[in-house]
Amino acid sequence: MSTQQAALELSPSTQSASPKSSHVVAAAVTPQLRFYDRWSPRWLALPFPLFLLLLWYVAARFEWVAPQVLPSPQAVSQTFIDLVASGEMFDNLKISLLRVLLGFGVGLVGGLLLGVAMGLSPVFKDYVYPLFKAFSQVPVLGWLPLLMLLVGIDEALKIILISKAALVPIALNTYKGIENVPARYVEVARVLKFSRWQLLWRVIFPAALPPIWNGVRYGFTHAWLALVVVELLASSEGLGYMIVFGRQLFQLDVVMAAVVVVGVVGYTLDQVLARIEVVLLGWRRSGF
Amino acid sequence: MSFLHPEDKHPVPKVLRGWVLPVLLLALWWLAARFHWTNSPLLVPVDKVWDTAVEQVRSGELWIALEASLRRDLIGFAIGVSGGLAFGIAFGLSRLFERMIGPTFHTLKQISLFAWIPLLSVWFGLGDAAKVAFLSLAAFFPVVLNTFEGIRSVPGELIEAARVLKFNRRQWLFKLILPAASPSILAGIHLALIYAWLATLGAEYLLVSGKGIGNTMIDGRELFLMDLVIFGVIVVGFVGFALNWLAARLERRLLAWRGRSVAQF
Amino acid sequence: MSLAGTLDIQHLSKSYPVKNGDLSVLEDVTLTIEPGEFVSIVGSSGCGKSTLLRLIVGLEEDYQGQVLLDGQRIVGTSLRRGIVFQEHRLFPWLTVENNIQLGLLNADLTPGQKRQAVREHIALVGLEGFEKSYPHQLSGGMAQRVAIARALVSKPEILLLDEPFGALDALTRAYLQQELHRIWQAEGITMILVTHDVEEAIYLGDKVVVMEPRPGRIRRIVPVDLAHPRERAATAFAEVKQEVLKEFSGDSASLAEPPLRTDAVDPDQIRQWQFAI
Repeated sequence: MSTQQAALELSPSTQSASPKSSHVVAAAVTPQLRFYDRWSPRWLALPFPLFLLLLWYVAARFEWVAPQVLPSPQAVSQTFIDLVASGEMFDNLKISLLRVLLGFGVGLVGGLLLGVAMGLSPVFKDYVYPLFKAFSQVPVLGWLPLLMLLVGIDEALKIILISKAALVPIALNTYKGIENVPARYVEVARVLKFSRWQLLWRVIFPAALPPIWNGVRYGFTHAWLALVVVELLASSEGLGYMIVFGRQLFQLDVVMAAVVVVGVVGYTLDQVLARIEVVLLGWRRSGF
Repeated sequence: MSFLHPEDKHPVPKVLRGWVLPVLLLALWWLAARFHWTNSPLLVPVDKVWDTAVEQVRSGELWIALEASLRRDLIGFAIGVSGGLAFGIAFGLSRLFERMIGPTFHTLKQISLFAWIPLLSVWFGLGDAAKVAFLSLAAFFPVVLNTFEGIRSVPGELIEAARVLKFNRRQWLFKLILPAASPSILAGIHLALIYAWLATLGAEYLLVSGKGIGNTMIDGRELFLMDLVIFGVIVVGFVGFALNWLAARLERRLLAWRGRSVAQF
Repeated sequence: MSLAGTLDIQHLSKSYPVKNGDLSVLEDVTLTIEPGEFVSIVGSSGCGKSTLLRLIVGLEEDYQGQVLLDGQRIVGTSLRRGIVFQEHRLFPWLTVENNIQLGLLNADLTPGQKRQAVREHIALVGLEGFEKSYPHQLSGGMAQRVAIARALVSKPEILLLDEPFGALDALTRAYLQQELHRIWQAEGITMILVTHDVEEAIYLGDKVVVMEPRPGRIRRIVPVDLAHPRERAATAFAEVKQEVLKEFSGDSASLAEPPLRTDAVDPDQIRQWQFAI
């Protein structure tokens, strides 16, 4: 695997490496077969979380800390069921989802357009890239107070922040992806007399797609992050709001229930993107 | 991409192009303030921002805020990275550890970072302790993941070479695994640096106590002091840029052995 | 069959501007290639043989002298001149047959005719059964054969080959040399092969053009008057080989690669942007 590919694939949501290489390393380090190798790995995953759960239950039962600080597992699950039953969970989830999808959508389109423009037109890039780079040095949250002053604290703020969070990695990855299309392939297109349009559609975009999609996934992770933050800070509905509200009333069971949902939904959406990646980029194995 | 545009016929010379937009925007801003295109108190003249900046530097306010933010940032970063390295190496070297703790870790990792803050604020209070705890968490995850990935990706060819050379346990770790995994590990640390800075800001917004650059901006916002906020944004940008640059520099130094070619051993 | 064409290279020179003036890569190269000929070009690194090929195919421009195909000056690339590179350069996102079909993208044929041509050329290079495979599933030799098919499918007048077998192991190389010979005899296309391998040059070529470096020039043209199929072990073969090798200066080092790699991607260029949020 080339470093270029490795660098582009490293992201916070990277899962473990291919099983083949992991076995090579692990087998080399502990060559003898251990007892647990015979057990199915799935079962091995259970003891630790079960242990934590037990610890939690005991700690809550014997009130090692105040119940406001650590609600019991039963309380949390009961609250969760109540929230779902009353519809409150779904209402807030729906609002959060709409926000993130809208914001991400805007950031996606904007990022792709900007990235493509910079990638294909050196002149455009000369004008725009330095300013863009300067803006991207400020992390998403750095813009929050400024935006709050400019647009207040309702939906506009959230959408703008979420789209900015997605736009930067997408634009950058798209631009660099296009710029880094190997000259080798472009030469083949020249020899085969591709028109400019054919060159773009049949060579540049397919070749740039892996880094672009990487940017898309990265962008989504950031969009989700931005959603949570902005809902924690400046919202009166949504999952983040549930968390903050619960915290203020010292109802940590509500907080935990909402946190779990944040985790599950974030993970699911990222998995959706991962599946799409398999479909789009299935041709990429040992790759270039 | 120059083959698509073989001749650069554009009138403006290349070096100047990057300046056109910023200068234009600044000019627009200056004009808007000068001729009062709007009555909003938010439209502060450009020189007001400059005055505020000078004031902040001179009065020492800037340094206090920056020092507080960076101190927390670096402590949390250090804790997160060390913990992350330990965890990542454990995951990489021990199949048992990975199988038992791994799934739980991956599940917890899915929870968007900032969702942890309210919980942490209950368990650690509202002061620096909670912020540092949060920052450590922010730095922890990327380091674990990338360290694990790096160790698992050590090429089989090198492993076999080490076996033939009869490396002992210690040599395995320090002479093969860690050096071979170092590109990934350093990439993880670089990511951790970025996330920690992001988290520093977020923590200051959400746990509003004490000093920091984020607090400066929040104060500015509450008092409708646009100049202070803009100043804060610029400072944050600079720090982000500096951290990035430092990390890149360090990586280049430590990974010089890779050469300019794509890493093939 | 393909239309024959005479390639006339007249006083071709090319130099690149570098820090202290110009680096002359080719100097006064004159060569005529008859229709249907197989010409091998050998020379140590730096003798400009790859540059010569790229000039003929039209990937490099800005030269002095003339390159004429059938009396007409060549301008840019053309489907009448095909090339096989050292790397197969197949598009990884396309199957074998789709890769070959790219050669016909701008050809004036009906879809049915295109499919037929692709099928014929898959058979020509001996890859029946692999139409739907992806490049990463093929071995190096097979991928190179697909590259050859892609270059031939548009029926060019000239096929240029730039060290096509350089990246392959010796056995595959020997096999592919045979295959290339068979294809040449079947198609009758003019072929120009650039190679390091003197044996390969003699095995395949009607004449061997020996080039020398700094600046790139033709040193000598050695005709190969052996009947096909050629026996590498035969005395006559060895004699021709001696003739060619004589042209290289005494030390074998001049045939070897330069010690330092100067190409390759700068990974920092990628890192620098990847982590900005």
